[in-house]
Amino acid sequence: MKDNDDLSDIIKLISDIKHKNILSSYDVALRTEKLLENLISHGKWDSALELMDLVKQRIKCFSQSLPDEPTASNIMKHILKIIRDEYQLVSKKKGETHSLQQIVKGDSSNVLDYSENVSNLRSALLDHLSEYKDELETSTENIAAQASEHIHSNETILTVGKSRTVEKFLKSASKQRLFNVIVVEGAPSYLGHSMAAALAKSNIQTTVIPDSAVFAMISRVNKVIIGTHTVLANGALRATSGIYVVALAAKHYSIPVMVLSHMYKLTPLYLGSNDHDSFNICASPASVIPYSFGSVLNSADIKNPMFDHVPPELVTLFITHQGGNAPSYIYRLLSEMYHPDDYEI
Amino acid sequence: MSKLKQSVTKENVVQAILVADTFEDEFVPISNNLPLCLFPVVNKPLIDYTLEFLSLGGVEEVFLFCCNHVNEVKSYIRKCIDEAVGWTLTMKVQIIVSESCRSFGDCLRDLDAKGLIRGDFVLLEPGVISNINLLPLLKKHSEILQNDKGAAITLVFQESALGHRSLCPQDESLVAYNNKNRVLFHKKIQKSRDKKAVFPIFQEIFLENSSVSIQHNLRDTHIAICSSSVLPLFSDNFDFQTKDDFIKGLLINEEILGSTIYCHILKGSDYGSAINNWRMYQAISLELKNKWVYPIVPPTKRNRVIPEDSIYSLSSVMGLNSTMYRSVIGSNVTIGEGVKIQDAFIFDNVHIEDDVDISLSVIGPGCVIKKGAKITVGSILGQGVIIDENVFVENTLVQNRPSEDVLAQPEDKIGEFAYRLRACEDEEDLNVDRILAQKFSRLHIHDESYECEYDSENELSDSSEELSHTYSPPPDDTKLFFTEVIDSLTRGYEDKLPCDNLILEVNSSRYAYNVTLREVNYNVIKAILIISQKLPSGTQYFSVMTQMLCYFSPLLKNYIKNEAAMVDCLQAVEDVAISESDLKDKWIIFLLKYLYEKDFLNEESILKWFATLKEHTKLHTQVKPFASWLQEAEEEDSSEEDESE
Repeated sequence: MKDNDDLSDIIKLISDIKHKNILSSYDVALRTEKLLENLISHGKWDSALELMDLVKQRIKCFSQSLPDEPTASNIMKHILKIIRDEYQLVSKKKGETHSLQQIVKGDSSNVLDYSENVSNLRSALLDHLSEYKDELETSTENIAAQASEHIHSNETILTVGKSRTVEKFLKSASKQRLFNVIVVEGAPSYLGHSMAAALAKSNIQTTVIPDSAVFAMISRVNKVIIGTHTVLANGALRATSGIYVVALAAKHYSIPVMVLSHMYKLTPLYLGSNDHDSFNICASPASVIPYSFGSVLNSADIKNPMFDHVPPELVTLFITHQGGNAPSYIYRLLSEMYHPDDYEI
Repeated sequence: MSKLKQSVTKENVVQAILVADTFEDEFVPISNNLPLCLFPVVNKPLIDYTLEFLSLGGVEEVFLFCCNHVNEVKSYIRKCIDEAVGWTLTMKVQIIVSESCRSFGDCLRDLDAKGLIRGDFVLLEPGVISNINLLPLLKKHSEILQNDKGAAITLVFQESALGHRSLCPQDESLVAYNNKNRVLFHKKIQKSRDKKAVFPIFQEIFLENSSVSIQHNLRDTHIAICSSSVLPLFSDNFDFQTKDDFIKGLLINEEILGSTIYCHILKGSDYGSAINNWRMYQAISLELKNKWVYPIVPPTKRNRVIPEDSIYSLSSVMGLNSTMYRSVIGSNVTIGEGVKIQDAFIFDNVHIEDDVDISLSVIGPGCVIKKGAKITVGSILGQGVIIDENVFVENTLVQNRPSEDVLAQPEDKIGEFAYRLRACEDEEDLNVDRILAQKFSRLHIHDESYECEYDSENELSDSSEELSHTYSPPPDDTKLFFTEVIDSLTRGYEDKLPCDNLILEVNSSRYAYNVTLREVNYNVIKAILIISQKLPSGTQYFSVMTQMLCYFSPLLKNYIKNEAAMVDCLQAVEDVAISESDLKDKWIIFLLKYLYEKDFLNEESILKWFATLKEHTKLHTQVKPFASWLQEAEEEDSSEEDESE
């Protein structure tokens, strides 16, 4: 019971996500950041080590309950890294930069143990966190601001389903340029329809096509711009199902595929195999064939997978708030975001 | 703790009542040792799914009503809370124990007395698995309540279709509701006698409502949203035993009780269902595997899904050359080589030796099945049964100790720890229909050839469709009346009571069960004949039977009064003769002759009846000599009359 008491903040977050009170990953990110801000300012901790344990407990609890929702864990892991950095700065100790000699000799005398009680760590952390909060809040705008660099006049852009970041990106480009957008409807959820409606409202020339027409239409497309659910450690995507087909078709016609992603979608996770059960989630088949169909369902097995695995070689460019990066550079961004010790908790 | 205090102080805590026991013997013999709510469904206890559903649905406080196996359930819930399983984080579970309750209604009356429920609440019958969000439903219900103060309950239905494996024939129902979703008519087709909804019943419904929807493809999800008036209604009407009684009572006595029923039909990916028999157990297991209940899914950790739709726990071991098809294997199961498992459910800690063949069966926890045994079609093995080598088990319930029932027979013993359990010991073979119903309610048979027929020939499919409608009528009023008549007659015959008293008794039961006169005639005769079957066989049989018929003659005289009654009587004779296979050869002739000689039957009715019999049947050949004798006698009579004139 004591443990539960301590974790009540993260439990509230989990139940809000489960009950669908928070829908978008952006809101999840902001809520997580706020939660940790509270923890740092009001939580019971004396040393950085204790604080890190508190955060790790929350990551564990969250990833057990919602293994398919990486955003919150990523934010928390990034804040772990911030704690480590700040501690180092404040205590003015150098130990993180392992020299080759140290590694070979296995000399651990210089490794930081974070157990020292540093007086002004709390305020330093809060300062850093408010900076990070600003970064989160402006991330979408920063991505959208780069739109005019990537979209040129009279181009045809293809996108799949609905993504808030992509929507903002296209709207921002439409202020300066005239271009066409083809929206793939994304059966069986058909979120592409509402995406197309939103774009059409901002006077963007929009066409909706069924998923099956992707290959036929792609030859006249100049760029594919999509959002993603997660970016894996090697630059592969875990994205809405249907995107793999689009990426393959784009590859066939050598059309660039741009992925808009917030930094918190970078996940320090490598994929064992993409047909493994834990990679994908199968949602209810009711949106494919309604339950009232009857006896067909006795003999037919209907699957409705939610995600596609898109290998890194099909992605041309990742656009984050810091600018464009090739998939091969993801490893570098990862090491900036997270400390290697925190990859798996 | 702080969280719990918060939820208590809040005004409108969303409450749910979950009744854990079925009060039926549907799951015997496994339910003897394991409560239904702890049955593993795709390797996770059933109650876990239910509680997860409630917590996702927005419920904050659950009253879990428990009558049997209380300690097991309690310790399981405690274990979940200790491990901080998902639903424990946002929901409070209170276990309420009352071992005196004997029905669903009793439980609700008990809860009413305790006064724990404060407002609208969610009512679940045992075994519910669903993924719906309850908050919008509760909101809708309270809106209805504002317009209609008498709204008592909103039933939740799911659209299914006939022929779907999860539309259990026992749950087949007909629902009529108006455009405000108010239920005007509800009938469980299998539980009523005539299997028909007569149209004139509807007439006033049509007159009073501008638009009425009638649906036959609805499946009861066993979830209901209830107003606070429901519990008092159960208390006031202590003859309400089940929710069906409640619905029936409310619809019939609408003016008196002033309560109305509404319904909600699930749309899209919403799913709701309840495990209330083996057939539903099988259907829901398959649907869970196929993710129909998403986001509520079977556990993925420590379980492995293999092709051909099987799931097995990683703690189980499987030998070479063994095959599995649409099955679920629990944890710590060892399976030998060359084992075939098809459409079966294997619970935990089962040991299966080489070359065993299991299909369409449920193997309870801790069973041992030795080499070469074969277990097929609808067999259910209770806890700890040991099946010896090369034993063949088909369509039986098996438990590990001898049945305590008096009627248990020595041949029921299959092995030292395996005893056949009679499906309906107390009613013996009389109630063939009931046994048939149980048999069909076990596992749904996936017969590929049946599916083929279904596709290729419409006529055939029609006939099989009909079959699926007609089997398994549970005991209705006529049946109850019949068993009552048999009871009184047997007692009367043994104690030699005066027949007039028996007639009174039969007549009073007739009014109690609201049975027509013709049915009374038919059932009384049938009862007498059934009793005659139980007389000691041997050389004395016919003389004893004559004595018995003599004793009952006032009764016969009372009921066989006219031609129509004679027809009923002969119908009863025919039915008994056909259903009882081990009749004596002369029995039918003896009986007819006796009835004819004592003037209970006249020759025209016998001959008329004989003409309706199918030729070349056993009955036909047996009756034929008597009929031809009658015919000759009649001709002689008439010729004699001619001569005399």
